[in-house]
Amino acid sequence: MKRVFVLVVLLVVGAGAVDVTGTWSGTFKVSGGDHSTPQIIILKQDGNKLTGSAGPDAGEQYPIENGKVEGERVRFELTSGEWRFGYDLKRAGADEMKGDLELKSVGSRRTAVVVLSRTK
Amino acid sequence: MALVAGVFVLVLGLTGSILAFEPELDRLFHPHLSYVKPGGSALSLGEIGEAVSKQFNGEPIVAYLPSESPDLSSEVILPSGIVCVNQYTGEVLGTRTRGQSIFGLARDLHVRLASGDVGRNIMRWSGVALLVSLASGLYLWWPGKRVGVRGGWQSGGFWFDVHNSVGILSLAPLLILAATGTVTGFEDQAATLLAKVMATSQARGGQNSARARAAPEAPVITPEITPDQAVAIARGQMPGAIPYRVQMPRYGGAYRVSLDYPRDRVAGGHNLVTIDQYSGDVIFSTRSSDLSSAERILATNEAIHTGGVLGMPSRIVVWLTSVILPVQVVSGLWLWLRRKRYAVNSSGGVS
Repeated sequence: MKRVFVLVVLLVVGAGAVDVTGTWSGTFKVSGGDHSTPQIIILKQDGNKLTGSAGPDAGEQYPIENGKVEGERVRFELTSGEWRFGYDLKRAGADEMKGDLELKSVGSRRTAVVVLSRTK
Repeated sequence: MALVAGVFVLVLGLTGSILAFEPELDRLFHPHLSYVKPGGSALSLGEIGEAVSKQFNGEPIVAYLPSESPDLSSEVILPSGIVCVNQYTGEVLGTRTRGQSIFGLARDLHVRLASGDVGRNIMRWSGVALLVSLASGLYLWWPGKRVGVRGGWQSGGFWFDVHNSVGILSLAPLLILAATGTVTGFEDQAATLLAKVMATSQARGGQNSARARAAPEAPVITPEITPDQAVAIARGQMPGAIPYRVQMPRYGGAYRVSLDYPRDRVAGGHNLVTIDQYSGDVIFSTRSSDLSSAERILATNEAIHTGGVLGMPSRIVVWLTSVILPVQVVSGLWLWLRRKRYAVNSSGGVS
């Protein structure tokens, strides 16, 4: 009985820990901005460590830094030039992520809402 | 309407007067990071990069921002911040960190009242309200056509005369600033409208081919050409243009060199050459001369609004006009508060 309980617990925990490895596409919309900006994000999860790249399309990609997966929470940063992007996402199902993006440059700080869905 | 919009117009004027000279004010606040003593020839980008890498433990370089003037420092963008470097000696002058500053707040207030979508709508409709106020002010001024101030500031008609005189003398620049600001506020809609009117295609040749490049593989390979070679290639593509930004291939998949034709104050900075880091081939380039009519109209609108269109003289006019806005709002509010004491006669005078 004890073994069955442990197995069930492991299965439940395992089911929750869906790997985010894959290609994600979507948009972010800056608060007070006019339009949404497209995003292609390529993630590779190794344990709770996250690597990969992200950018406006498949050709223009920027390396991900400080990537972490903590339960449902997915966080990473990247630098696209003057701007530093800080993503703080939560998984909404196996193939969707939503969350906030903080954009910082010298002198400016903006926030945005991100919506992503897995394409591969 | 003027009373409600007046608060936001006041914000537009105050923040606009700061933004008109933002680069100069920024350097005033950070002189040790901004200025260098010109002497000898400047170091290459590679040498500047080496100096920065030594001091920042090999942190990867995102981009170089070469100096715009012999007495201004160069900048090197790192993930951790923007490093200011003396381009003659390689001395690191200091680092600027990313985050909100007083100038960023001024910009955020000017554009979106520092409060997202709601603030953005308030500010752009305040531009429309300002245009209406200017038109109604002209209508009220017209019968008397009075210019000049009678008596001291304690006299009955002082603020009335100030409001009228300042308003009519600054009407033209105020109208231009309000109109160009309103177009900027509704830029997406203006771009759509202009594209429809002019039936121009927004798509430009060559751009898609570059977008189709594969994403860089990890780990990143050392580029085969140096940033200085990339700049030389870009300069060869656009003789006479001055490079002001060099993005490293690790960040974006290829060298991206932005160049400026200083004589073209409207769209001179809209030049970009993208270069393959291995072969040195130009993947694509966009030129300011490639801008569609609609894009050039919007760029001109922005240059007029910021004062960049004629350089320093137009920036001074923009600053003065921005300073005048709060004067008009305050004098207008004063007149409204004292409205029972004043009565405008049929010839536009005050009694």
